Amino acid sequence: MEPEAPLVEHVRTATPASVSEGDEPEPITVGPVSRTHIVRYAGAGGDFNPIHHDDEFARAAGMPSVFAMGLMQGGMLGRLVGDWLGRANVRSYSIRFTGQVWPGDELRLSGRAERVYEQDGERLADCSFAVTRQTGEVAIEARATARVA
Amino acid sequence: MADESLIGRELDEVRFPVERGKVREFAEALLDPDPVYTDEAAARAAGFDGIPAPLTYAVAAMHWRDQTGAYEDLGLDLPRILHGEVSFEYHAPVLVGDELTARRRVADVRKREGRRGGRMTLVTIETEITNQRGELALRETDTLIETEQRTDGATQQRTDGA
Repeated sequence: MEPEAPLVEHVRTATPASVSEGDEPEPITVGPVSRTHIVRYAGAGGDFNPIHHDDEFARAAGMPSVFAMGLMQGGMLGRLVGDWLGRANVRSYSIRFTGQVWPGDELRLSGRAERVYEQDGERLADCSFAVTRQTGEVAIEARATARVA
Repeated sequence: MADESLIGRELDEVRFPVERGKVREFAEALLDPDPVYTDEAAARAAGFDGIPAPLTYAVAAMHWRDQTGAYEDLGLDLPRILHGEVSFEYHAPVLVGDELTARRRVADVRKREGRRGGRMTLVTIETEITNQRGELALRETDTLIETEQRTDGATQQRTDGA
C-alpha cells in the first residue's frame, strides 16, 4: 500500500484496503497538545473529571498540570486506523494506556500490519498502533483487526 | 475496595441517540477531517448507509450516565482508579439516527501484584451496545485498575503493571 494514499484520500469505498505484513500507514503528528484540545474532547466525550481541565485541582492531586484523557489520543489514533484500513472494515480496536499525555506534547501516531491471514473465507490483518510522545515514551499501545484485500 | 463478589453485577443501562451534531463534534475533537462524519454523500460513497460514528464514539454514552455514582456503587475508591485498557468489538455499523442501548456489567475482578510491589485490583467492565432493532452493534470492554495508594501522576508507572 502506498503510504501517502490513506491520509489524503478521504472518500473511500468499503472495498478493503490492500495490506501486507510489515506495511505501515503514513504516521500522523499531533501537537503541541493544548488545553483547548483536552477541553474540546471533554465536551465531545463527556469526561468531566476536573483532573483533565482544572490545573488547580490537578496540582492538588499531585500532578504537575492537567493531562489528557487517554481516550482523547486513543480516539485520535482511531482516525489513523480508520483512514488506513477503512472505517467499515475494522472488526476490533483495543487501546492500552501506558503513559500520560501533557499539554505541550508532540505526538506521533503510527501503525504496522503484524499478521495477515485467512479466517472463515476472509482475509484479515492484525495491526499494531502506538501514540509516542516527543520524549520517546509510548503513551498508547493499540491493536486493530480489519478485513483487508 | 473491589472484590470478586462484584462479578456479574449489572451497573447500569442507558438509552441514547446517535446525533449528527454530536458525531461531528466528536470527530472534530479527534482532529479527524474525514467528511464521512459530516457529509451524508461522502458517507454513502464510503460504503455506509448514513453518517457513521467514529470508532471510539460509544464512550459518549458517558453523557447519559452517572459515572461517579456507578463506580461508588461498586465500592471503587475513585482517586485510586486508573483506566488501564479499553477494547471495542464491532458487530453492526453505528450510524447517525440510531438509538443505542448500553448495558454495563462487571465481567471480572482479579488481584495482581504491581511492578513496584503493592497489590492492584483489575476490574473488567463489559458494555453491550445494541441498536433500535435489537441488534448487537458493538461490545466495549474496559479494564479499571484500583491501586493500593492514590494515583500520583508525577510518578506514574505503566498502568498495566507489566
